[in-house]
Amino acid sequence: MSLLTVLSNVVAVVLLLHLVSLGTLRWLSGAGVRRGSLRENVRAVGPTAAVLGALLLANGTVRDVGVQLSWLIGINVTGAIHAIEGGFVADLQSFAAPPLTAYFSFVYVFGYVFLLTFPIVLYVLHDDPRPLSATLVAYALNYGIGLLCYVLFVAYGPRNFMPGAVESLLFANWPEVQALTSQVNENTNVFPSLHTSLSATVALLAARYRSTAPGWLPIAAVGAASVALATMYLGIHWLTDVLAGFLLAAFSVGVGARFAERRHGEDEPESRERLHGTAGGAVEQFRR
Amino acid sequence: MSDQPRLPTGRRSVLAALGSGAAALGSGCLRRARNLTGWRSTQPVELQIKTLPADADPYALRLGRRVAAWFREAGIEVDVLPMAEQELVRQCLLRSEFDLFVMRLPETFRDPDALTTLLHSRFADAPGWQNPFSYTDLDADATIERQRRTSGEQRREALADLQRTIARSQPFTMLTVPDDVRAARTDDDTNWRAADLTDPMDYLQLERGDGQLRVVGTDRRATTNLNPLSVEFRRSGVLTGLLYDPLARPLDGEYTPWLASSIEFATDEAPTAQVTLREDVRWHDGESVTADDVVFTYDLLADTTLGDDESAAVPSPEFRGRRTLVDAVSVVDDRRVALSFVDVDEDVARRALTAPILPEHVWRDRTDPAAIGGIPVGTVTEALVTNNIPPVGSGPFEFVRNTPRERLLLERVDDHFSTREGAALPDWIADSTLDALSVRVVGSDVAAVEAVTDGEAHVTGTAVGASTVPRIGRAEGTELLVRRSGRPYVLGYNTGRPHLSNPRFRHTLARLIDGAHLGEDVLDGYARPAVGPLQGTPWYPDDLAWDDGNPVVPFLGENGELNTEAARESFREAGYQYDDETLVGGAT
Repeated sequence: MSLLTVLSNVVAVVLLLHLVSLGTLRWLSGAGVRRGSLRENVRAVGPTAAVLGALLLANGTVRDVGVQLSWLIGINVTGAIHAIEGGFVADLQSFAAPPLTAYFSFVYVFGYVFLLTFPIVLYVLHDDPRPLSATLVAYALNYGIGLLCYVLFVAYGPRNFMPGAVESLLFANWPEVQALTSQVNENTNVFPSLHTSLSATVALLAARYRSTAPGWLPIAAVGAASVALATMYLGIHWLTDVLAGFLLAAFSVGVGARFAERRHGEDEPESRERLHGTAGGAVEQFRR
Repeated sequence: MSDQPRLPTGRRSVLAALGSGAAALGSGCLRRARNLTGWRSTQPVELQIKTLPADADPYALRLGRRVAAWFREAGIEVDVLPMAEQELVRQCLLRSEFDLFVMRLPETFRDPDALTTLLHSRFADAPGWQNPFSYTDLDADATIERQRRTSGEQRREALADLQRTIARSQPFTMLTVPDDVRAARTDDDTNWRAADLTDPMDYLQLERGDGQLRVVGTDRRATTNLNPLSVEFRRSGVLTGLLYDPLARPLDGEYTPWLASSIEFATDEAPTAQVTLREDVRWHDGESVTADDVVFTYDLLADTTLGDDESAAVPSPEFRGRRTLVDAVSVVDDRRVALSFVDVDEDVARRALTAPILPEHVWRDRTDPAAIGGIPVGTVTEALVTNNIPPVGSGPFEFVRNTPRERLLLERVDDHFSTREGAALPDWIADSTLDALSVRVVGSDVAAVEAVTDGEAHVTGTAVGASTVPRIGRAEGTELLVRRSGRPYVLGYNTGRPHLSNPRFRHTLARLIDGAHLGEDVLDGYARPAVGPLQGTPWYPDDLAWDDGNPVVPFLGENGELNTEAARESFREAGYQYDDETLVGGAT
């Protein structure tokens, strides 16, 4: 199975997931799509989307440069991470069983892509531009800060550092996927886990804007938790990477939501006061 | 023993004491402080092992971690740091920034004279695979020089002495000699077992129906750099060996004139050779290969700046050993070259003829210091750092295209001299049916095996781990090739670092390692233990045979279980102490 086959599989499965989820959520909420919201939304968040698009494009083209730069100026923290957390991932893998491996592999590849793309579709069809705007800003921050960390820190994941103790479950059972992942990432880029941070971002945004699509929050929460676990279970990330991913998600959502509400108006006046303290404000927002 | 210099604890605590009270300002106290700072406190022994991640090498990291576990049991603080191959070579071989490394010795060190550059103290400061251990031992130097000048039984004895010396003083510890495991397609009836694919010419021996050979591997370096002089990008030299021709190649165990039609040796005081080049040989860009190119190449290998004698020379690390055998090279006429060698045996001198000949018209411009954006950086020359793509060689294969980090395609040169009538070369070279050779890079050994079992590639080009063997066995149309390899995994010591500079300390470290257990446990038996680098060659003495464990540095334990008490006793005898359960040394 070549790269193209893997890619078309991912596209097909994720499209299917999209259709099913859209149908389910529509059926749950019983609301139709307001005509024209798509066009208005696109106009409203155009610049933000352009920034994210440019960042993704840059990510693709400068990846090699980033790796070279990383070996030049980055710090190799693999040993340090292992010293902090020891054999946590190996312990986690002691629960490994074929059904779990199948589930987490599916979540890591298909679930993750779905989790990232579905909110865009969901929020673009909604008449409030804020969730969409916040999502785009949060994604851009995740990628931007993630890239910076990848340059500053060189780290190999547990599957590369503890072969024998930690198995590379995903690539051993499904080697074709490595063709895909090696196209979008390097094996030295594990700190922080962008899989975790982006999934957690989606879940946090779903919580914040849960009135937009009430059925989405549980799916996003379960999905994000599964992705975070999957990255460790499959031996790809350290616990440290995942925790750093959560921090990055919290920060990105805090800034993204604040940006969206500044730009597209604020409905609930009482929250404005809370936004004054930056770090505290960011945490406060998730409590709501 | 980290890279950061550290204030000795004694001095640090004295400073703290000084800062703690005003009374410290009294002159009596200062005198006392001066007395105290003269004494150094003991420090824990800390070591770091640098090696490759599991994606790049199936065993290196597991070997490193196993060794680290033994060292920890003996009370040494050890950590293991993985890094990309290019970076590992840069840090360990070019900049000597390491305590210990786990790597495989290159294939070159199967030739006994290659040990000259690996171990002679003359090369202790030199970059690349030239004494990366900074090992200096006058006895070893003497035996190395002796094996260069002698032949037959005398040379064998010199090499046996050398291997006994290094087995005791341990500039590096032989961990295990792995078998090369490959996956190969069976559907084209290729004669995989005829060649072991470690030498460029092995590829010409393959008979493939369609003339195509698709190789898949995990090493992406060859897709971005094809410079035969590069240190960081060369592993086996197979691809550059197909692109470039030497004057002579080892074929079927004999040095056979290759780019030369004849090589006539004469020995007076030192050997000399008259080399006649073949007629009408061309570079891949159409220019003729001349005697000037040969002389230029040997001059370049000796000093890539081609400078005068006054400025510092920058020799090619990859070919320095071979170049040191040659005293002078001169043009006789357009097709003839005269070589005179230093005072070495004729058989040793022949090795100098295996360096690749480079085209003067391409490399002449690469003798200046390498620059970034027009600004020279250090003294290294462009010749050593250029990626050399596209390469212009004269070899049986030429470069077609590359996609950096992904692919490389080479094609057979029409009418290469090796296929002409009367070339006086073995038949299998003229009859070779291979037209194109492509290399694809994937992320790990499992992915490489998968590419073969899926039919996307014909054979794996880099080592795959024993864990892929069942996968190869299960797959239809795929066979398992297992061959003994000559490239051992070694634990290299930086003898320039504290503690590691002490041969007795290294000797004791080596006794914490069970080579037989590593082969069984980490390599699943696809390996054999060995003591000296020339194992498996006629130059290996019988008394170093691994019968019942290592005869020189026997393991302090049994079946991989370290006897901690024996290990401690051994370190105490070497002058070390234990603080609680931590090994401490005089000072760092």
